[in-house]
Amino acid sequence: MIKEYFAIAFRSVLAHKIRALLTTLGVIIGVASVILLMSLGNSAKEEAANQIRGIGSNLIFVNITDRQGNLPNDWLDNIQDAALIKDYSQLISSSAVYVVEGQDVNVSISGVNDKYASINSLDMSLGRFLSEYDLQYDTPVVVVGSKIPSLLFPNQEIIGNTMIIKGMPFTVVGVAEERGTNFSGDNDMMVYIPIRYAARMSGFSSINKTFYIEANSEDNVDFTLNRVLTYLESIMPSTSSYRAFSQTQILGVLDTLMSLLTTLLSGIASISLIVGGIGIMNIMLVTVRERTKEIGIRKALGARQSQILAQFLIEAIIITTLGGGLGLFVSYLGTLLITFITDFNVILGLDAVILSLVFSLTIGVIFGIYPAYTASKLEPVEALRFE
Amino acid sequence: MIKLENVTKRYVMGDNIVMALNGIDIHIDEGEFVAIVGPSGSGKSTLMNIIGCLDVVSGGYYELNQIPIQDYDKDELADIRNQQIGFVFQQFNLLNNFSALENVMMPMTYAKVNKKEREDRAHSLLRLVGLSDRTEHKPTELSGGQQQRVSIARALANNPAIILADEPTGALDSTTGIEVLNQLKKLNQDGKTVIIITHDPDVAQTTNRVITLKDGQVVSDERRQDYD
Repeated sequence: MIKEYFAIAFRSVLAHKIRALLTTLGVIIGVASVILLMSLGNSAKEEAANQIRGIGSNLIFVNITDRQGNLPNDWLDNIQDAALIKDYSQLISSSAVYVVEGQDVNVSISGVNDKYASINSLDMSLGRFLSEYDLQYDTPVVVVGSKIPSLLFPNQEIIGNTMIIKGMPFTVVGVAEERGTNFSGDNDMMVYIPIRYAARMSGFSSINKTFYIEANSEDNVDFTLNRVLTYLESIMPSTSSYRAFSQTQILGVLDTLMSLLTTLLSGIASISLIVGGIGIMNIMLVTVRERTKEIGIRKALGARQSQILAQFLIEAIIITTLGGGLGLFVSYLGTLLITFITDFNVILGLDAVILSLVFSLTIGVIFGIYPAYTASKLEPVEALRFE
Repeated sequence: MIKLENVTKRYVMGDNIVMALNGIDIHIDEGEFVAIVGPSGSGKSTLMNIIGCLDVVSGGYYELNQIPIQDYDKDELADIRNQQIGFVFQQFNLLNNFSALENVMMPMTYAKVNKKEREDRAHSLLRLVGLSDRTEHKPTELSGGQQQRVSIARALANNPAIILADEPTGALDSTTGIEVLNQLKKLNQDGKTVIIITHDPDVAQTTNRVITLKDGQVVSDERRQDYD
């Protein structure tokens, strides 16, 4: 019987193609915007999470923001074993402006130790990173970000070339692979020099120090973080002069935030879905009125109320599901377009596909039930008299 | 087979109460060929709706095939219409989006007959009314006479005991009208109880019993002895 309802409903939908399409437009737009925003939100979340994961693994960030007397330079060496620290790197930063063809180019200068590359997942495309030797003997060498060679040394051999940083000559020993932009700025416009050398130069804040600590395993990240915090607490004058948090914590906060944002946006978009549903209800009421005679004939020939109800409900569901399908297609095109014009990779998840079908089906049932009920309650005698 | 006892039907129209049927007593036996005649406003359409279980009585008693109709709810009445009564309407009342075959199959769908059997029966019924070459035509592609024959085939779909025809020739020219009447006569000869509601005395004359209504009451009930 269900099969016949579908056949009948399809027939009626096809009999009014333009009307059906216009009716579904509301649902198409609604479903497309909900899905697109959801996919965008999820992709943004994934992208941000990837950026944070890309910094390294099992990391703990420590930021010292206050001048203090008691924190020894080698404090991490002292607690390395007890806190299950595998390795750590350190960073202090400054910036310099270079003039290229009359344009100001901003370059970030990071003073780091030799562990920085391995802990922060910085790979080299040319040459090498700063070595233990460079650190120990303060050799004036520099590793540059991937955009630097073409900007500052066009058509020149880069390795072995000399880069002037804050008036001091540095020998370029390596070029980092392209890393893109993340929350710490454009990584490809960064140069890395030995930290002790940097500390002696002007312009580097000796107050702000960042440490990247890698725990020896994923399971020990919390333990290491606790140990580090305990140590800092014992030695620093106040808890406001340092911050320490793990990668997992950042990911957690990020996840909560992005999920909230996605939900909020999808919620706003789903209002259009409700508007679309009202459109469906409106047209279904018109359809029922137009087809009063048909309903009368069907009832005269033995259709039960439930059978008429099912027929019109299925028709509403077909229209909305059609809208859901088309909406899904539109949002798919939308993701392609966004991926094409930005380099932001938006993926239409399986959850979005399922959700769109469930959404449109639900809309069909909710907004189709009243018109279908109206149809089912028509009196056969009066319906037959309708012209 | 059909037993109406002191049947009344009231309509409330604003402040007025209209007695469309006012104490009807009619008994129709199985296999009869009956015409119910009367001028417009005599209550014959109301009577047809009641006999056809499309409407319910306001008072009195109606029994169809030993079933006391007033005790039944709307869905049960739908089943009775589906199984026991075949309707033939003045305006044919075919569904225009569906082919002749699909129109004939429709009552069987509601009777939950399986698809294969529906098609087979619809084909043989259309053959019976002489339209086996028009099965895929839509009603709009058929002449009035052909459409009425499709609706007769549809009326026979679930093999009902009673055929209820409301002005079956009203929308047809006289030649086609006679063809349709002959078809109904033949159904009666095959054992169906056929009831025709008409205002046309010529149509009434083709039956073997004429019940005349006026102002919601039976004014005459004549059986023709010479009917073959």
